[in-house]
Amino acid sequence: MNTLWSDAFKTLSKNKPALLSLFFIIFIILVALFANLLAPYGYEIQNPSQRLMFPNRTFWMGTDILGRDLLSRVIYGSRMSISVGLIVAICSLIVGTLYGSLSGYVGGKIDNLLMRIVDILYTFPSLLLIILIRVIFGQGLFGIFLALTIVGWVDVSRIVRGQVLQLKEMAFIEAARAVGVKNRFIIFKHILPNILGPIIVTLTFEIPAAILSESFLSFIGLGLQPPFSSWGSLANDGFQAFKSFPHLIIFPGFSIFLTVLAFNLLGDGLRDALDPKLKNA
Amino acid sequence: MPWIQNLKTHERTQPMKKIYGIILALIILVIAWNFFGPKKFHSHPEKEFRFVIASEPPTLDWSLATDNVSADILFNLMEGLIQFDSDLNVKPALAERWDISSDGKRYTFHLRSDALWTDGKPILASHFVDGWERLLNPKTASDYAYFLFDVKNAKEYNAGKLTDFDTVGIHAQDDHTLVVDLWHPASYFLKIPFFWVTFPIRKDIIEQFKDAWTDPKNIVTCGPFRLKEWKHDYSVTLEANPSYYGEKPKISTATAYIINEDSTALSLYDTNKVDLIRRIPPLLISHYKNLADYKNSPFLRGYYYGMNVKKKPFTDSRIRKAFSLAIDRSQLSTILQGNQIPTSSWIPKGMFGYDETIGLKFDKEKAQLLLAQAGYPKGEHFPSIKMVYDTRDDNKIIAEFLQSQWKEHLNVTVSIDNQEWKVHLKMLETNPPELWRLGWGADFPDPDNFMNLFTSYSGNNHTQWKNKEYDQLIEEAAKELDSQKRLTLYQKAQHLLTEEDVPIIPLFIDSQNVLLKSYVKGYTLNPMSNNILKNISISKND
Amino acid sequence: MIPFILKRIFISIPVIFVLATITFCIMRITPGGPFDKDKAIPPEIKANIEAKYHLDRPLWSQYFYYMKGLIQGDLGPSYKYLGRSVTDIIKDSLPVSVELGLYAAFLAFLLGIPLGIIAAYKHGTWLDSSSMFIAISGITLPSFLVAALLIYFFSFKMGWFPAGLWEGGWEYKILPVAALGLRPVAIIARLMRTSMLDVIKADYVRTARAKGLSEFPVILKHVLKNSLIPVITISGPLLAGIITGSFVIEHVFAIPGMAKHFILAVTNRDYPLIMGVTLIYAVLLILANILVDVLYAVIDPRIKVS
Repeated sequence: MNTLWSDAFKTLSKNKPALLSLFFIIFIILVALFANLLAPYGYEIQNPSQRLMFPNRTFWMGTDILGRDLLSRVIYGSRMSISVGLIVAICSLIVGTLYGSLSGYVGGKIDNLLMRIVDILYTFPSLLLIILIRVIFGQGLFGIFLALTIVGWVDVSRIVRGQVLQLKEMAFIEAARAVGVKNRFIIFKHILPNILGPIIVTLTFEIPAAILSESFLSFIGLGLQPPFSSWGSLANDGFQAFKSFPHLIIFPGFSIFLTVLAFNLLGDGLRDALDPKLKNA
Repeated sequence: MPWIQNLKTHERTQPMKKIYGIILALIILVIAWNFFGPKKFHSHPEKEFRFVIASEPPTLDWSLATDNVSADILFNLMEGLIQFDSDLNVKPALAERWDISSDGKRYTFHLRSDALWTDGKPILASHFVDGWERLLNPKTASDYAYFLFDVKNAKEYNAGKLTDFDTVGIHAQDDHTLVVDLWHPASYFLKIPFFWVTFPIRKDIIEQFKDAWTDPKNIVTCGPFRLKEWKHDYSVTLEANPSYYGEKPKISTATAYIINEDSTALSLYDTNKVDLIRRIPPLLISHYKNLADYKNSPFLRGYYYGMNVKKKPFTDSRIRKAFSLAIDRSQLSTILQGNQIPTSSWIPKGMFGYDETIGLKFDKEKAQLLLAQAGYPKGEHFPSIKMVYDTRDDNKIIAEFLQSQWKEHLNVTVSIDNQEWKVHLKMLETNPPELWRLGWGADFPDPDNFMNLFTSYSGNNHTQWKNKEYDQLIEEAAKELDSQKRLTLYQKAQHLLTEEDVPIIPLFIDSQNVLLKSYVKGYTLNPMSNNILKNISISKND
Repeated sequence: MIPFILKRIFISIPVIFVLATITFCIMRITPGGPFDKDKAIPPEIKANIEAKYHLDRPLWSQYFYYMKGLIQGDLGPSYKYLGRSVTDIIKDSLPVSVELGLYAAFLAFLLGIPLGIIAAYKHGTWLDSSSMFIAISGITLPSFLVAALLIYFFSFKMGWFPAGLWEGGWEYKILPVAALGLRPVAIIARLMRTSMLDVIKADYVRTARAKGLSEFPVILKHVLKNSLIPVITISGPLLAGIITGSFVIEHVFAIPGMAKHFILAVTNRDYPLIMGVTLIYAVLLILANILVDVLYAVIDPRIKVS
């Protein structure tokens, strides 16, 4: 196991885009954590005389319709976007992994039933589910997290189940079972650690998916509401004025783009690094 | 993978690089030419007018229609007893003259004899009786049946307590005379027949085609246009009606495109695909304001925040006044940019009874004094309260502005919440929060329609405020026929509403921001935002 | 083959019923009713309206009433669009969405697969890196941003295509299809490339080479066929993604499709329309999944369809 991880790290460090992405992600997380120190103005301070300014020396990213500094709002927005991404991805991951590994390991009728349920959830148009959850649970954070998680874990569970199915056939698992090791033990000590690689990769892809879903929700008016502002809601605020005040949508939109890009490149890199098949190339 | 490398080196030769380069240069040239070069947008068709409606009309059955989009179409397909000119004065339409009895309870309308339906049949007084009966019939389940509740026995008929429509105060004395009897005089009653629910109806057509009677091939109307085509969720096309009694429209067709997204509608306007835009989002107003195409007009629509006077701390009228005094409404016009009129009173500008001196003007010191008197000097220990609005771009901007005003001038923190429209309405009906946003657009241009909102029995009064004196003033003013006396009554009522008890904080009167192509003539804006197309003409290519 | 397809369709029917029941329950839990309006109506009138639509009956009665209609193919009347039935609305709008979606799907495969093949072929060159960069942008840019950019450049600035609407001519289709298809093209291109590279490195290709078969047949037969398998696998979710994405596209380009009704119906609490649209989408997805399984069998008979 040790050599797998150190090998992986070596491969990853050779992958320049992935490395750059990792640094960028760390940078964004730091920005999110220290937003109140970094933002030049508060995100809610309104300057009515300085509305809708283009980027200039006082306001590096310009101002919005209420005269609020866009740079500060983008910095604070990172908090919302990253938290949505991380929390939703981690929740989806936990639920999906437990569900998928259980289903894959147990097999048989239970596996069939669990996968049938997943199939039904799959055919249910996720958008409708998201909208309904948001409407029932209101505009708060909980509604968004719940809605996006419910849609996200399904994919994870399928991937995990596939991995578990592959592993199940392997010799050492059969040996463990033959010896009489308890199933729970096998799952947690043998199976999960071995699929950790693909799980991490999946996590790295779930985060940007969650961020993009949140920005989509913002566009149709069901995203985060004031006082919470994510990049998605900032971009949505500025969408209509694209022709006359492009900075309102470009800066938040670009932030989404770069962050999602970074996670995707990192995910690609991690997958290449952790994929045993590529070892012999 | 050695064999793939070999293939690659085969491929990469000099001539290939040159060809790539030339192609790239050509592409850049074409793009640059189109991007920066002269623009040739589509030229407009000569007798076709194209405009935008924001959503699909839920119905074109005028007994059932309740929303503006349906109205935009219906006002051109149909006509009623009266119409408004651009200053909202009552003018004859299907009724060429009328008499009102001295006690104000009987209206006799004399109809034109030359007005025809699109199938050639003449318009008779009995068609009006049929229309009003359908509106009031409980089985029709029409939302706006209450418009006619001033008519004798109308309310009882609608509630099912009376089943003989003959007892209701509307009769066709002969083919061209319509007599209406009211319970009591109502000074605004002459304006009510403008509303589409009171239009005449052809019972035989509805019986024949049932739910499909509004399809273009079945519908029978009598206005300056008739329904040519209805592509659901996409467009509604009207064409000039040759059997209209009045001056025929100078355009052959008018098409309404259904476009939900404002910026798309504006892009289509910019590229000459549509000729009229009737809503510009606040962010874009400054972009279009200086164009010759831009037109602005007052709108009989008020925007306010209501308070739940049964919920602390708004049980104390001093605090309610403080909140109203702490808003610098003049900033709203700079933020919204659309010539909205900040207002501290309720009756909107352009309506009888408007008085800009009434209401609580911005006064920071007074607000702070009142707050201190009520027990919260400098905003200390003020309970946490919520302000709720229905989800929409401009509502969000205004809410954030108000929040910062109260923070700045009263040192009070109000948290913002928002709900989707339907949920917002439900919440207002069942359990209104401390502060909530609402608006009101005039159904007809009379102050009663605005002021009766806050009577203790109005279903639209979510403030929980009940004031007997206010109720009496409103009821008296509705019956009062002398305009000077009416004015005084409404002044007193507004005084109560916005200066003494203050259950609401009026913010501004909306305005219409419109873009109209210069080659379109004859389209006038009116404060009810009625979309009247019959006088439009399109001049030759400018 | 045929019995397999029939069996799948048969299994799907109870799925549809479960779906309908779940949707019904969720809709009724949601606060706000279809007839709550901003201008308050007297309670007697409201009672009249609700009686007309059977909303005054107990919930289980409404449920059975609806299910009975469903079996007979009647999806009920729309609560918002008076006088129009849900079947009418779907009949008008579904073909538009299907047309838009199919064009986008065709674009995705027609453009994505060759792009992926070229990128794999020219692995490591600037052509590979640049096309993969474009691909990843397609995946990471939010769709409304893509739509806005396309309208801004190609309609407003260059005047090549209309900014919206859906009249007969082909020029109205280009921008919306491009906006909707960008992400699928990108996903397929990336997947195709990765998949081809994986397959090329696999043992059995080396074996075939070693046996002395010439280049071209090797590539065509073995590599392509096996590379396509992951692409086919994601066709199901890809189609679902196109359906979801089409809401933004239809909204921004003013296209009268069914995706628009999705959101509007929930906003209006138009219960029958919500049910109808949900069920239609579910049926489409199920059909797509069946198609994917059939394609699996065609591509590689070794893959058991069980």
